[in-house]
Amino acid sequence: MRILFFAQARDAAGTPELDIKISGSVGIEEIWDGLVAEKPKLAAFRKTTRLARNGEYAEAQTKFTDADEVALIPPVSGG
Amino acid sequence: MKIEIQITNQTIQSRGQLENFPAGAIAEFSGVVRDLENGGKISALEYEAYSPMAENEMRCILESLAEKFPCLAARVIHRIGVIPVGETAIYVCIAAEHRGEAFAMLAEFMNRLKQDVPIWKRRAISSVAANVNLRTSGPSQPADSHRRPQKVLSLDEALAEIHSHCQPLPAVRVPLAEALGRVLRETVCAPEDLPPFDRSTRDGYAILLNDESETFQIMDTLHAADWKPRQLKPGEAVRVATGAALPCENLRVVMQENVERNGDQIRIARRESATNISFRGEDLRAGKPLLHSGAKLGAGALALLATAGNANPLVSPRLRVVHFTTGDEIIPPEQTPKPGQVRDSNLILIRSLLQKFSGNLEQSHLPENFELAKSAIGNRQSAIKHSDLLLVSGGASVGEKDFTRQLLEWLGFEIVFSQVNVRPGRPLIFGVNGSRVAFGLPGNPLSHFVCFHLFVAAALAKLVGEEPKGFLRAKLAAKLDGALNTRETLWPARLDSAGLHPLAWASSGNVTCLPETNALIRVPANRGPMETGEEVNFLPTTTE
Repeated sequence: MRILFFAQARDAAGTPELDIKISGSVGIEEIWDGLVAEKPKLAAFRKTTRLARNGEYAEAQTKFTDADEVALIPPVSGG
Repeated sequence: MKIEIQITNQTIQSRGQLENFPAGAIAEFSGVVRDLENGGKISALEYEAYSPMAENEMRCILESLAEKFPCLAARVIHRIGVIPVGETAIYVCIAAEHRGEAFAMLAEFMNRLKQDVPIWKRRAISSVAANVNLRTSGPSQPADSHRRPQKVLSLDEALAEIHSHCQPLPAVRVPLAEALGRVLRETVCAPEDLPPFDRSTRDGYAILLNDESETFQIMDTLHAADWKPRQLKPGEAVRVATGAALPCENLRVVMQENVERNGDQIRIARRESATNISFRGEDLRAGKPLLHSGAKLGAGALALLATAGNANPLVSPRLRVVHFTTGDEIIPPEQTPKPGQVRDSNLILIRSLLQKFSGNLEQSHLPENFELAKSAIGNRQSAIKHSDLLLVSGGASVGEKDFTRQLLEWLGFEIVFSQVNVRPGRPLIFGVNGSRVAFGLPGNPLSHFVCFHLFVAAALAKLVGEEPKGFLRAKLAAKLDGALNTRETLWPARLDSAGLHPLAWASSGNVTCLPETNALIRVPANRGPMETGEEVNFLPTTTE
């Protein structure tokens, strides 16, 4: 699974993207658990940062598979 | 609706018209980079986007808004990369049949963009060579920042740092009954005309506007809740109650006081020019914004939301706050102090000041020793992790100077600043950890009071999405007899209709002036006494 980081989350991750292996289908919390294990500094973002799956905001019940592109979306500030 | 969306790193120049539409209204908006960001002069802003998603998200927002505000076409161009001051960061153009939908669509789109579209301001590029970080100094910074020399910030610099490090927390939908005092986080538009029909403002008789008949036949009686359309003819009248929907257009209502009634006939004794009708849409047109995002919800605003049918507005969340007091000399208020001890006043002070913001406040006392404090915190780590704001009172005592600072760093906070050139309240610590913010407040009650209103309130305002209060101007009603000081001073005062009355205080440990204080006068550095009548800056401190 390809994970993209933006803005402050990219600073915390220290990389713009990351590949992690997952098997079967997993939920948001499992993705976060995996991310925080890999990059502990991302723990600080868990509460405010939304996940996107293939370019759309994930819902609480969204399931992810290894083929998905996941992005971390910290609070936005466009316009 | 036709939609065009573009994310570009090029200058936005060719606005172009949205052509070939039977548009009666074309609303354009340009968001331009200003030369001020968080109080500092800048020369450019740098933006970043997750472009494919940002384009998709903007399209979805426009499509969903089009259901509410039917428009013909929309074009959005967002620039990313480094954008110099004076240049356009975003351009939006909406074409619609009428201006109402175009304005509403434009305003609502910008609000939604700022909530959901994955585009970020990354940093401000300062007009003096150095870069000013916006939020890039998040948790990625090394935790050994305390080894770097710490700068003493001015009041304005400190406020700018707080402003740039705090972000509005995600909004929540709550029932109207729970929304009082919160900040509205969506723009709410009128769903229908108000009043929704032409209605009578008097008890009387509706007749045709220019009907000069001598007598009128009463055809019907309409009460407030009745809906009985009918076309009146000359010589016909309908009895109407105040608030009743009128049966057709082009009428006037003759007050019953001006009518002589005989059975089901009336004769008009006195004619007046007033129509006595409140016309449909007179108060408000459908689609027009009623309340804008950022509005504070008082009783009146809630009544308006109810009228507009918005029973679950999108509002700021209640904050989760953890507050620690420190200091071995502190004892609870109900105990009698031994020599060297003082009663704690900060727990109740902070609890009271936070009342309108916090949904959940956890308070406890820590021993004044880093190792003991760490183990005391032990099982509260999860409360801290799930809090929005952490406050630590005291802990800057001699010999253990870095106690609060060390504690915050141990909890994962990066210290943004730890000294501000104001009195009282110089040793103020501000730290961030992701979206969480922390303050170490100097323990003296007056310092506490001042630092809360100056700094913590600024952070709270930003977290809930409110405009920061800022200083107001008023005249001194009495002489401010301050000695020359190299620091800016926040002087407790009482504001009434005569102006600002400076209150007596000698040191930051003073508490007797607190009950009277409802304003803090901002006395510039190196100013001696200030005379009665002089206009000064002040910050209101009422928290009701």
